[in-house]
Amino acid sequence: MEYLQFILIIILSPLINGVIRKLKAQMQGRPGPGLFQSYFDLIRLFKKDMRISNTTSWIFGAAPYILFTSTIVAAMIVPVITTVSPFSVMGDIIAIIYIFALGRFFMALAGLDAGTAFGGEGSSREMTVAILVEPMLMLSIFTAAISAGSTNIAMLASISGPIYTPSHILALSAFIIAIIAETGRIPVDNPDTHLELTMIHEGMVLEYSGKYLALMEWAHYMKQMLLFTLAVDIFFPAGIINNTEPAALAMSFGIYLLKMFSIAFFMAIIESSRAKMRFFQLPSLLEGGFVLAFLSLLTYIMTGR
Amino acid sequence: MNNWIEAYFVIDFISAGLLLTAVSMNALKRIESCVKAYTLNSWLLASLIFVIALMNGETHLYAAAGITVLSKGILIPLFLGRIIRKMRVTHEVEPYINNVVSLSISAVLVAVVYTSLSDAVFIEGFLKNVLQISIAVLLIGLFIMITRRKAVTQVIGLLFMENGLFLAGFSLTSGMPTIIELGVLFDVLMGVIILGIFAVQIRRTFASADLDRLNTLKG
Repeated sequence: MEYLQFILIIILSPLINGVIRKLKAQMQGRPGPGLFQSYFDLIRLFKKDMRISNTTSWIFGAAPYILFTSTIVAAMIVPVITTVSPFSVMGDIIAIIYIFALGRFFMALAGLDAGTAFGGEGSSREMTVAILVEPMLMLSIFTAAISAGSTNIAMLASISGPIYTPSHILALSAFIIAIIAETGRIPVDNPDTHLELTMIHEGMVLEYSGKYLALMEWAHYMKQMLLFTLAVDIFFPAGIINNTEPAALAMSFGIYLLKMFSIAFFMAIIESSRAKMRFFQLPSLLEGGFVLAFLSLLTYIMTGR
Repeated sequence: MNNWIEAYFVIDFISAGLLLTAVSMNALKRIESCVKAYTLNSWLLASLIFVIALMNGETHLYAAAGITVLSKGILIPLFLGRIIRKMRVTHEVEPYINNVVSLSISAVLVAVVYTSLSDAVFIEGFLKNVLQISIAVLLIGLFIMITRRKAVTQVIGLLFMENGLFLAGFSLTSGMPTIIELGVLFDVLMGVIILGIFAVQIRRTFASADLDRLNTLKG
């Protein structure tokens, strides 16, 4: 059973995206699409034919598979409902960040590959944001890792004792900013539009259609859910179990779903209450997040809490 | 009585909040939000004194907390708000360097303070952390004074410095005599009023609150 917990992320990730979309629509006074709309979108895309530009190279065809599989590999390392995670010997939390970086690298290459202006624009913006987000993500993770004494996520998730210390709260706020930037949500990117002046993620996948687009979108949903799961594992580990009894697993699964829905609710609140920032204002937000993470690390080192 | 203070890291949280409000000054773009950050900082300062008073049971610290709230938490922000309305300046802060650089520099300042004071052996326990944070707030206040163009934001920088100094004195002596605290607070209040009047006069004479204009002689 513990071998299969990454399947949960693969299966449930479109649902979480659907939940965020639905909640956001409700907050804005629209009925919004159904909860399972993301699944229908994916199924429809898988059925459709693809149009591939003749100017593209092999990278264009390889990128969706690399992105999809690398995200699944990252999902295997993360403990979802139990900290008994056999695949965690494959790598720790730093490995996950760089597995994400691998996927992002190929997505950016694929954006450039077709030679359209929007693809290049999207890729360049994605890499700019990535440069700013990565140190913040790393520093906030380091704070948690130092206090747990390990970078192994299963170890991080199974620590007991109080973790609601100042350094953890600072690290959590930096981590939330990093999640928003990594998943391309408002105020960094708008996931709902194809407006050429603002798009980042949509710009890179603009040339894709059919099956490839479905893989890209699915990988994006999975990455989003993975980051939420990481946040939960590192900062709210209460409720995750450290054995594999079926009854305990079921309960842990319920708690996990509850946590996911609360994060989705939180994201929907942020998305509805903030406006998209201008791209050139982004460094100031992300630098703020970096300083938060830096202060959290300093505070931890100096006070030991 | 004192268990919850230690169990929930109340002092750590308040001092982290003090530091954060000071650092956030570097990111804020509107003068009004700078005043809000200062108000929050003062309230946190007062609550820190209050919590320490609860821990130590010293009665004159309650008075110090009360006076801090009254003067720094209520009177000075109200007065600053009035000055800003009266001067009718634009609401942008207009620093000399952009806020990404100034955020990084303030982070470096905090790191320097933390590392250089980590061997300060003359005080122990939680007050050591408070001392580090107070010096950091002081330096950030100074940094804000250096990098801001407008008179009002420089006054806010000065006020942050004063909060840092107050906290430093407090952490070293665990509460100065009430009469000295009263004197200091009264001094600050008067200082802010005079600086406010100066700022309004600068605005009236030079038709701008930009302190760079003071370089030119006027006949």
